Amino acid sequence: MRKVAVVGAGMTKFARRALETPKELSYQASKAALDSAGMKLKDIDCVAHGSAPDAFDGIHQKGEYLADGCGGWNKPTMRVFVGGATGVHAIAHGWYHVASGLADTCLVVCEEKMSSAMPHAQAFFLTIFDAITERALGLNLIWIFALEMKRYMERYGYTKEDMALSAMKNKNQGLKHPASQFYGGNELTVEDILNSEVMASPVSRLDVSPVSDGAAAIVLASERTARRLTDKPVWIEGVGWCLDTAYWATRDLYYPRYTEIAARKAYKMAGIREPHKEINIAEPYDPFGYKQLHHMEGLLLSPKGKTVELLRDGHFDMDGNLPMCPSGGLLGVGNPIAAAGTLKLCELFWQLRGEAGERQVPGNPRLGVAQAWGDLMQVSSVVVMGINNA
Amino acid sequence: MGILERITKNVDNKYWYPENDTFPVKNRYTAGVAGQKFFQELKDNGKIYGTTCAACKLTFVPAKLFCEQCFAELDDWVDVGTTGILWSWTIAYKNKDDSKKETPTLLAAIRLADGLLVHWLGECSPEDVEIGMPVTAVFKDPGEREGSLLDIGHFKPVIS
Ligand SMILES: [Zn+2]
Repeated sequence: MRKVAVVGAGMTKFARRALETPKELSYQASKAALDSAGMKLKDIDCVAHGSAPDAFDGIHQKGEYLADGCGGWNKPTMRVFVGGATGVHAIAHGWYHVASGLADTCLVVCEEKMSSAMPHAQAFFLTIFDAITERALGLNLIWIFALEMKRYMERYGYTKEDMALSAMKNKNQGLKHPASQFYGGNELTVEDILNSEVMASPVSRLDVSPVSDGAAAIVLASERTARRLTDKPVWIEGVGWCLDTAYWATRDLYYPRYTEIAARKAYKMAGIREPHKEINIAEPYDPFGYKQLHHMEGLLLSPKGKTVELLRDGHFDMDGNLPMCPSGGLLGVGNPIAAAGTLKLCELFWQLRGEAGERQVPGNPRLGVAQAWGDLMQVSSVVVMGINNA
Repeated sequence: MGILERITKNVDNKYWYPENDTFPVKNRYTAGVAGQKFFQELKDNGKIYGTTCAACKLTFVPAKLFCEQCFAELDDWVDVGTTGILWSWTIAYKNKDDSKKETPTLLAAIRLADGLLVHWLGECSPEDVEIGMPVTAVFKDPGEREGSLLDIGHFKPVIS
């Protein structure tokens, strides 16, 4: 396998009801990523594209529809989709193209436009459940998250306030991200979150990331090409992914076993033995406040049941031992499903190059991990990025 | 419900209630940055616009925000006129329920600048159709237009 570097990153604002079409959003993110790498579309060998259910943009086979916006004209272009995990999965997918030697450069683009769904994108989630055993109940994802959140809290005795603290941390961090719909806005308190409308207990409105439209892109290059383009390449050190099944019966909801399996694969490739000591920045998937804590445990970055204690001790703060979601994440920036995962890779790229502005994690971080999660609550994708692979 | 009157309270949304036996598949779309202007011109002025990429020497119809070949952002708007060349066409004699159409439906691909617009062909019979012939857009009355591709009722042959 050849070494693969990230040499550019770009994204649109994550906002609801953007004027742009899905294709135009993809173009804006792709162009920004290419510009940041000092590259033109003709320098790109292939396109790795990610977008979650077709229903959100409202176009079946939307990979084909989006292809020209993703720079796919007359190039090998492939789409992957694993629900919410798509945004990180697509990078692993793009990594293959370059690591295999098939391509020297690959543009990875993820997009989602949620606002076209009427009356609300949640309605489409009814269609992802087993048609016989679950769909008859009229489920949506908020209810399902509520079941998992409750089980997680019950297992360790975590409180609703603990979970609100986790959501608050990202919401307030997101105020510093120029692509955030809350950029420059007012900070929230734990009380604000606890007092927000209950959607499906224990989930309240502000425990949830906001539905958004947006796109994000990164540019991958082989070692030789990367060194020609930049003196600050960020290396993809490891990738891993894993699917549990949508059959729930054999899984305890309190722990994302599949995330651990995916993380172990990525760490092994990266030569990481003690992730909680070696990783400098974590971007766990955070569609809900509790989810990032849940994922920190699955990523082996926090001992099971100790995560709230570490959170309260400031361990995951920007100046803590392991800064968590310095981007602000889905909660703080927005959640256009597939693009939200790629936001995390963009963040690692900027953080590891020291280009994250007022979000910059101090102490010259050298190794970061990003993770996304999705499908029917059972798939995780993990990517480790670093700058010390000399 | 209008696009600005979104449901903000979860409980108001009846779509996924089991007793409501309909499947909640509904979408509304944005015309986009380029589409906004393209359809506004169609509606207000009965004009068809393209956008030109100077580097690639291409004028895209319908107008695009970007050149798919070189990724330039396009803001050079060109009125391409309302007459194009018939590039290809097909014909349907039957309705979806297998009944015979009173008049056959003609569907055409019409070359306008460097783009192809797909639309109906009207005011002619199949035996009059020839690939390469000029066809011109027949617009609906201004009061009936709503910023849709159907603001053009059909294209018809240009009688020389
Ligand atoms: Zn061009």
